[in-house]
Amino acid sequence: MSQPLSLDAIGLPGRRHEQWRWTDLSAIDAALAGHANDAAPDPRGWLIDGVAGPVLLFVDGRYCAAGSDPQQLTIETSGGDEAHVLSRLTRGAVGATLRLGAEHATRGPIQLVHVATGGPAHLHHRLSLAVDAQASIVETYVGAPDSWTNVAVDVDLATGARLMRTVRRLGAGGVHTETLHAGVGQGASYMSTSLLAHAENVRIESQARLHGAGAFASLDGILLGRERQTYDVVNRITHDAPGGSSRQTWRSVADDQSTLSFAGKIEVARPAQQTDAEQSVKALLMTRTATVNSKPELEIFADDVKCAHGATVGELSKDALFYLASRGVPPAEARALLTESFISDALATVGEELVRAAVTADAVGWLRGAA
Amino acid sequence: MMLEISDLHAGIDGKSILKGLSLSVNAGEVHAIMGPNGAGKSTLGYVLSGRQGYEVTSGSVSFEGRDLLALEAHERAAAGLFLGFQYPVEIPGVSNLNFLRTALNAQRRLRGEAEASGAEFMKLVKRHADDLGLSMDMLKRPVNVGFSGGEKKRNEMVQMAVIGPRLAVLDETDSGLDIDALRVVSEGINRLRAPTRATILITHYQRLLDYVVPDFIHVLVDGRIVRSGGAELAHELEREGYGAIAA
Ligand SMILES: Nc1ncnc2c1ncn2[C@@H]1O[C@H](COP(=O)(O)OP(=O)(O)O)[C@@H](O)[C@H]1O
Ligand SMILES: [Mg+2]
Repeated sequence: MSQPLSLDAIGLPGRRHEQWRWTDLSAIDAALAGHANDAAPDPRGWLIDGVAGPVLLFVDGRYCAAGSDPQQLTIETSGGDEAHVLSRLTRGAVGATLRLGAEHATRGPIQLVHVATGGPAHLHHRLSLAVDAQASIVETYVGAPDSWTNVAVDVDLATGARLMRTVRRLGAGGVHTETLHAGVGQGASYMSTSLLAHAENVRIESQARLHGAGAFASLDGILLGRERQTYDVVNRITHDAPGGSSRQTWRSVADDQSTLSFAGKIEVARPAQQTDAEQSVKALLMTRTATVNSKPELEIFADDVKCAHGATVGELSKDALFYLASRGVPPAEARALLTESFISDALATVGEELVRAAVTADAVGWLRGAA
Repeated sequence: MMLEISDLHAGIDGKSILKGLSLSVNAGEVHAIMGPNGAGKSTLGYVLSGRQGYEVTSGSVSFEGRDLLALEAHERAAAGLFLGFQYPVEIPGVSNLNFLRTALNAQRRLRGEAEASGAEFMKLVKRHADDLGLSMDMLKRPVNVGFSGGEKKRNEMVQMAVIGPRLAVLDETDSGLDIDALRVVSEGINRLRAPTRATILITHYQRLLDYVVPDFIHVLVDGRIVRSGGAELAHELEREGYGAIAA
């Protein structure tokens, strides 16, 4: 499709629409007027050291063979999902396609790196795992000011398949939007952990449908906001089959005038008996000028269901800060230590040690910079 | 003189709590401050350690020749002051080991000393944790979370031993301890007695003072020291109560 020239032309649903009421993607206008920087970036700085496995590098929405080592991955162009306002923009865009059987284990986590130097960039990744296949994917999105990265991700997990996605948003500005659809089959497991930081605007919309019995999904993440950054996460987990479980663990740290929003909906259809769904959403206000929004939503049609959700907004404990100070820890370091421990719950599901360490280091870097 | 408190007036939220407190402590000495509930004992500990919200309206405190009140809380710690908390704080998500290592190294940095290596730190902690009867497994757990009252106080003493302060102000370190724990904790305090160090024991029972025999006892009532004496004063207080002494 032809690319829109302004935010208005994209036709986002607007704030009166429930799923978009906290969305602010106004920095897209600057990105649409932005220009790519032709100097090819060196992707190596964005790779996780010591992780073996395929690497795909994309720059400004184009595949960059020179910096890649695709192994069993292929690059395909997208059909785009016409029904979704952001996903349909990825029509014709490239992205990684992974079709993995149980017999093709990768040597280590797959790394997908996208570097946005300016202007709009669209990507569409398709990840489908056959019966009992397993994969771990690390997606690293690096955004420059006046860039917009719009990603569609389709996940399809057959019986017993397991996918772990780790998403990092790094860089120095720009807009990041992601639209995820995941179908989770019988006894299959979809897990994602997202670290969202450094962008001016973020919107992540995820829909996971647990259509097989005993399926599992966890959608976890960390939002780190400062200045006037506005981040918005909308999760919808649909339990369609019996015995499924889902987890959502989100931690937000809101500084300055940032606005961090989370809406998580759990839907349990009539056949989905013995569903076990949990949602834990906690936010830390570093200043009184920041804003956090959170909205849990349950829609339950089965009767034998365990659903737990909790949302809190707080500040760092003054008692804990004084305890640390009384032991000699300067205020900035004490705040960073307490904030790191606050976000650590949301990193617990990242399986590989090296990946977890890298994401933790990214988050700590942000926090120490903020302190 | 290690610590010199002169005519200290301090309070919180506009309420005056310390009302002209003076106290001098030399290196090598152990002082006990006794007094009824609400006398201002914990307030003294907080004011000395620089807790926010406490307002000093007049008076002065010098510590090793420096104006203590001009320093921030973490600088006072690095200068050698340690407060043992009456109610040690729980910090979910931060392990005791991480807490203590962060503290030790922050102090060393502030003093311009080299940080402790991982191995050096672990050796130090293990020795003191063994002495005080806290397992390393407990120290791997979040700070004071799920600890009994006695374990929290032992933990305070482990922290004190690892940090090795010049002046320890121990606020009701004896409360909530059974007799075995009281002995272990007292031994911890006694081990730190040295000609270069001093201790202020805040308590309202005489029990602790049977194990840690102070050089001086001061009776704090309504924000002022109303009487000072030697170790024998504890027994007089035990017999006659604070009321008679204050009168
Ligand atoms: N945060 C506070 N705000 C107001 N009053 C306080 C506060 N903390 C303590 N006080 C009051 O100050 C007085 C002294 O308290 P404290 O120093 O805790 O006494 P002690 O430790 O000797 O029992 C008491 O009357 C107490 O109620
Ligand atoms: Mg007290």
